[in-house]
This record gives sequence, structure tokens and C-alpha cells, in this order.
Amino acid sequence: MSKISRRDLLQYIGAGGIGVAGGVLYGEGVQRKVELLIPQVIPPEDYSPGVATWYNTVCNQCSAGCGISVRIREGKAKKIEGNPVHPVSRGRLCARGQAGLNVLYNPDRIRTPLQRADRGSENTAEISWDDALTTIGSRIGRLKIEGNAGRIRLLTGRTRGHLDELFAQFMNLLGSEHYQQYDFTYPSALAAANKTSFGTDVLPYYDIENADFLLSFGADYLGTWLSPVHYSRAYGNLRQGRQGQRGKTVQVEPRMSLSGAAADEWIAARPGTEGLLALGIAHVLVSSGSYTGNDRDEWSSALQAYSPSMVSAETEVSEDTIVRIAEEFGASTASLAIAGGATAAGTNAVASIVAVNALNHLAGNLGKPGGVILNSAQTFPAAAGSSPAGLQGALDLVAAMQAGDVEVLLVHDTNPVFSLPDNVGFRQAMENVPLIIALSSFHDETTVMADFILPTNTYLESWGDDVPDPGVGFPVTSLSQPVVAPLYDTLPVGDIILSLARQIGGELPIHMPWASMEEFIKDRWREEFDERMSEGQDQNFEAFWQAVLEAGVWGQPGAAAGGQPESSSSPTIAAIADPVSKFAGDETDYPFVLHPYLTATFLDGRGANLPWLQELPDPMTSVVYGSWAELNPVTADELGIEEGDVLEIESPAGSIRVPAFIFPAIRPGVVAVPIGQGHTSYGRYASDRGVNPIHIVATLMDKQSGDLAWAATRVKITNTGERLRIVKTDGVTRTLGRQILGPGNDHG
Amino acid sequence: MSISVLDALQPAKKPALIVLVLVFGLFVGAWVHGKYFSDRSPIQPIDFSHRIHVTDNEIPCQHCHIYAERTPVAGVPSVSKCMGCHNSVPSVRESPEILKLATYWENREPIPWIKVYDLPDYVHFTHKRHIKAGLACQECHGPVETMDRITRVATMKMPWCVDCHTEREVEHGRDCWTCHK
Repeated sequence: MSKISRRDLLQYIGAGGIGVAGGVLYGEGVQRKVELLIPQVIPPEDYSPGVATWYNTVCNQCSAGCGISVRIREGKAKKIEGNPVHPVSRGRLCARGQAGLNVLYNPDRIRTPLQRADRGSENTAEISWDDALTTIGSRIGRLKIEGNAGRIRLLTGRTRGHLDELFAQFMNLLGSEHYQQYDFTYPSALAAANKTSFGTDVLPYYDIENADFLLSFGADYLGTWLSPVHYSRAYGNLRQGRQGQRGKTVQVEPRMSLSGAAADEWIAARPGTEGLLALGIAHVLVSSGSYTGNDRDEWSSALQAYSPSMVSAETEVSEDTIVRIAEEFGASTASLAIAGGATAAGTNAVASIVAVNALNHLAGNLGKPGGVILNSAQTFPAAAGSSPAGLQGALDLVAAMQAGDVEVLLVHDTNPVFSLPDNVGFRQAMENVPLIIALSSFHDETTVMADFILPTNTYLESWGDDVPDPGVGFPVTSLSQPVVAPLYDTLPVGDIILSLARQIGGELPIHMPWASMEEFIKDRWREEFDERMSEGQDQNFEAFWQAVLEAGVWGQPGAAAGGQPESSSSPTIAAIADPVSKFAGDETDYPFVLHPYLTATFLDGRGANLPWLQELPDPMTSVVYGSWAELNPVTADELGIEEGDVLEIESPAGSIRVPAFIFPAIRPGVVAVPIGQGHTSYGRYASDRGVNPIHIVATLMDKQSGDLAWAATRVKITNTGERLRIVKTDGVTRTLGRQILGPGNDHG
Repeated sequence: MSISVLDALQPAKKPALIVLVLVFGLFVGAWVHGKYFSDRSPIQPIDFSHRIHVTDNEIPCQHCHIYAERTPVAGVPSVSKCMGCHNSVPSVRESPEILKLATYWENREPIPWIKVYDLPDYVHFTHKRHIKAGLACQECHGPVETMDRITRVATMKMPWCVDCHTEREVEHGRDCWTCHK
């Protein structure tokens, strides 16, 4: 045995050491990641780990007011579905509703109160709730004492139920009349038209479910119109719910929407003349003797001018089609005509919708199943009932801000800088306001101008109640409850208002004594209950409250609705005098009609910060991420444009650059751009994606309702020569000889 | 003159030895890791002893692990549960480990226990069914009543599950869908 040299020994020791270290590292590597077992500090009573509990509340992703059920495990929200007992959603839910979890868990949520020194910049400093509320409360309190409370303004999105009442009461007690709402999607023109036609501006229940002939003028009831989840379910019943009877649908719109694609017939009338088409159909209904009412002669003379030949020439819809649809509409036992989308967004919006309402009157569709059923204005419990004021309201606010009449502006749940045309100058006018306070869960184009940002709970962390609008034909009120504890240092918006009331002092805390929104709502419900419901019932309030909280909704199916709609002919006939929309920009300079449209994912842009919605392809074009401009192949051929060519779309109000998408289901001469993208400060998921077509819409409005006429802008198109690849899940739109459309019917 | 391959291998002897030592070292390292540093018996934030609670004080398992009988997971007791008893046990109130517990409680913080038994997410194991079948906790978790610090006694791998299901002739005990939904 040779002796081991010192050098060798060291080498062996080194090798052994490396081996041992390697072994330990190997053991560490194959070991599972350390997982923790976190107990509750104090467990809730109804809590069982690993077992889900479903809590009912109300969706807040659009204004439909669907009831939702949220699956909670270990105190965390895991999944949202429709509430099966809620009469609006009936167990169903749309993509926006499902993406509510993205609102709750969004990494861009504002987590603490913030103060901004430099408006428009992203730099903010954290402050405490106490400091923020004291500073704001003393500013507002001083204005009130000086008698300048009228210089305080509160602007919110569509707000209903007792939150609306709280806002109204707060502003009243301050002594300011300037609480207003702005929501791009609110159908002001529809409400105004129904006031003319039926004498009430409460939106009626359109009973699509029981109709057998549905004639829709621009209303994308399957995607974005009023209450899409409810109507989608109703559409299913119209088609397949009744044995041996398949309802028919006809869609009139310049660009095929989801509802247009689902319809039996799609009619692309000349943009702006949809109301005229309705009058042409009405003319046939009256002249053919289908209508037999007492006032037949009045209608006959009022509709005299709208003969099928004249209407056909104006609308570019064939006479045969007009007569055929009128006959089918008149002959159906339950026909229904509805209006929305571009039909309700011209300078003649109210006139057009009144004309469509007239069809329902002439065909005898009012107040019966499958027709128009009025909702009662007052349902349990009563609330203030404010509604958004459209473009006119926004213009008034901008004028006041420019004139220096606004000292304090409180903004909640609305983004007017994004969802108003650039020409309105909302952002520039905000520069004139000394103090802007945003109550918001997210940064957006409007809150970026705020000096203070008070972070609000999301709807899944808040108390609230809601009367769905439109309702479902009988009284319904939904109750929202927090389904999870607040994730961050945020407060419910109602609690912020109540805290401010306490800070300001005076008579405010005397009239608004509630410690929280929860207490306020429960108090109000108790009052209503004692007043109206306790008689003849064994139920006490606590039991009633628990039952409503569990169900998420209170309703009285079968109870008297809003009564029989009164449709008198004279106001209707006066209102339809102006049936064709005017457009901004003359036809020679601006040869195309811009058709911005709401998408089922982003709506007016509010959904763009939710990643699940960003990655959802558009149902008609399959395009995902970014914006695009849809052109008919005929128009594209004339201009030599191919898919992906970046176009400059210029209106009299501005221009956007967006890639072209060749889309056969659009009328030649119309260019459609989806609304929702083009955000500049709405978090990581919305940034650097697409353009905002609302910004180049001219500031025309419907005269009668003051609603923005967003479908009344003409544009010109220039091919910039740049190219951008459109991201889409479709392959090619051609059949490539596969004879999918049948032999001899192949478009290659 | 004899011919030996050993001579020819002579130059390779030292590298071979080094490799041998290295491999031996690997085994030693892995063993040491498994023995002293593994997750089989992790050091917990509080030096909790099941022996004291179960053997000395005769507390039944489900007094603390209250969810085992009715839910998929057994559940660790809430901090309030621990304090519920310890508030009325003055004899150990000043011991360092109980002071740690008291601190968690005062701060209203959960105790970050380290998981000893864990299954992958694709296994739908439920305690409820096993308790209903009459299994004692010790069948899977070993003699917990003798342990000061919990040590994992089973592999928690599929063969181990299936062996038991086979042996006991569990109905549908070998169907994939029983555990993998």
C-alpha cells in the first residue's frame, strides 16, 4: 500500500466535500416547496375549510343589474355565476360578469388613499384616511359656511338604489344642486322617446321571450343592449323554447352585430334612416288595414308621405322587403319592435325610437306577453331615481368648469375624459377646478387629473341595493352584500360619503347619522318594511332581511306592473316629423360614415383593464387585442386596402390610426371601429392597446334628449402605407374549394 | 514476467478513487439532508408537542382538528381555539412557547405552521370519507401521540394509497376517478 501524499489526501477530501454538498443540494432540490398551513385567527361560524359557500350579490359590470352568486372558499372569491333565483340573470352570466374576479384581484387596484401634486402625472404620494378626509372635509365645509356650496359638484356613473339616494341627500344637505351622472351606455334617447310614446321614462320590459317576430333596429340585445344576459336567455326561448314554434328575428343595422348574425334577416339600411324605415313599415301597417284603432285616420294622414317607394329610395331597402316585413309584423300574434345602437345615436334618435314605438302601437303589442310591458316607477324600497344626463349634462358641467364656477369636483365610477369626444374638452376644463377628488378603485384617464384619490371597495366588497333598469315587468329589488373582506385599505364609497358628512359637521351628521352604508341600507329597508309590508304578515324584519340577503333579491312576481301603456297618437305623430339623422362633415370631404360600436367585452371601455376580457376574441371578427377598422370588401377594393393596412381615419373632430379588417357583414361606405381600447392610464392590461373612436366623434346630439349622437360622424380614410398584423383566431374566411356552402355556391 | 491489467489501469486509479469518494459523498449528503434537514419533520414556528396534548392531557384528535369528520381537510385549530384553552391553563402561561402563542393572538396573526402532509392538487383526497370508513388517524399519520415534533411516516405517493385500498378491498378503490377528478 503506497502512502497517500498530502496533495492526494486534499484532493480526496475536496471530492468528498463536493459530494456531500451535492448530496445535500440534491435532497433540497427534490424536496417539495415548503407550504404553509395557515389557520384562521378567529374562524367565522359558517366556515369549513375546503367547502365552498355561495353568496348572492349584484353584478356591477354594466347597468343591467344581474344577480350573481359568488363561490367563496377559505374567505377567497373563486368563481362568479348567475344567481338562479334572480329574475334578471336567471342563473346565467356574461363574460363581463365572469371577469368580476379580475376587478377584485386586479394588481392595478388603488390600495391606499393617494395625493397628487402634479395633475396628469402618475406620481402620487400615500396619505392616511384621516389626513385625506380632514383636508377634503374642511375644504368642503368652508365652502358650505361661506354659502358657496353650489360650487361643489358630484359626478358619478350610472348609480341606482340607496347609493343614489345617499349621494342626492349629501349634496342636498350641503346646499348644492349639482349631483349628476354620466354614463356613455345609458339610453337617454330611449327613455325620452318612451316618455313621448308611453308617458313614462321608466324603461319598459321588452318581452322578447314570448315574442314570435322580433324586429330590432340596431339593438344588439345579445351583446350590449340594456340587459344582454336576460335577453340572451329570452332569445333562446323565442327560438327553441316553444314546441313547434320558432320565433323569427330581423335586425336593421349598418354593421352586423352578434344579434344581427343570429337573426334570420339582416338589413343594412342607409345609416341614419332607420327611423324612416320604421315609418315606411308603419305606413304599410295602416294602409293595408292591419291597424284598426279609432285614430286610424290620424295615423293614415301622418304616415301618408312615407310610402314604400319613397322610403325605399331613401333607405336603400327594397320596396318588397318593406312590404313583406310589415305584413309579417302585422300578422304575427306577438310581434315586437325594439330600438338601440346606432338607431338611437343619431341627431334624430328620439324621432327614430318613437317611430319604432309606433310600430308596437300599430301592431297591438303594448301591455301583453311578447310585447312591451311597462315597469312600475316605484318598487320596494324607494330610491332617488336619478339618471344620467347624456351629452347635454356633460357640456353643462364643462361650461361651468370653464367659467370657474366649480371649486370642488367629486368624481365616482365614471370616466368622462375617455368616454366623451375630445372636442368636449372635459380634461382641459378640469384644469380650471381647484380641487378634484376621485373616489375610485382604479386609476383612469379621469382620476389622473384628481388631486386626491380615495380608494373604494369593489362591488364584491360592498353593501348596496339596486332596482334593475329595465325591470322585468314586476317589482324587483336586489341586495348586494360584501362576499369577501376588503383586500386593501379601501372603503365602500357610501362609507366615504358618510365619513365626509361627519367631517363637515353641521346638520349633515344629524340627518346622516349612519356609521356605514350597511347600517344606512338596513335602516331604510326597515322603514319601508314597517310602512308597507308588515301588515298581515307574520314575518318580522330580521327574518325578512335574512331571507332577502340569502336570496340576493326581493320580488313580487305576478304583482301589478306599471299598467297599460298609453300610446296617444298626437305626441307620437309630432315627434316623428324629423326621421333622418344629420351627420357631421359633408359627404364630398368625408365620404364614409363612422360606426363606433360597443363591444360585449369592454362596453364603453370600462372592461379594458381586465385581462380575461382582453384575451377574449371579438365574436364577429375573432380579432383579439388592439383595435381595428371594419371595411366592406367592396369599399376596400375601391380604395386598394388590404387587411392590416394602417388607415388614418379622420373626422371633422380629429383622427385615429388603426389597421383595416375586411369584413363582409358591413354596409359599403361604412367604417366600424370597436369602442373600448385606446386607454392611456388604465393600468397594465389596457395600456398600449388600440385607439378610442369616441375621441373623434363630433359633438352632435339628439335635440330632444340631449344624448350624444355617436353614430352621426362622417370620416375620410387614408392608407398610410404602414402595415400592422391583426391578431385573430380565425384562419382564412374563404372556403378554399371545400364547397362548404354547397356545390356551385363556392366563393373560392 | 506476468501481464497484469492492473498496471495498465494504474494511471486511472486515482481519478476512479476520486469519483468513488465523490459518489460516496453524494450518498452521505443526501442521507444527512434526509435525516436532519428534510421536510419530513420541519421545525415549526412554535415547538408544539402532540405528546403533551394527546398522551399527557388525553385530548382526542378531533377536539382540535374539528373539520376532519365533515370536510376534505382536517384543519388546524384556529388561534382562538388554542387560546380558548390556554387562557385557563395558568401553569404554562409563562413558558416561552406559550408566550409565542400569546403574541400571535395579541397581534391577531395566524400561526404560519409548515405543512408536513401535503398532496398534489390533482389528488382529491378527503378526510371525511376515511373517518367515516372507521380508520384511525394513526393509520396514515403514525403514532402522533408519541411525537414531540410531527414527522411524516408515509410516502403519500400513489402506490401507498393503492396498496391500502387493495388490501381493504375498498369499493371503487382502484378507479382513477375516485381520486383524480
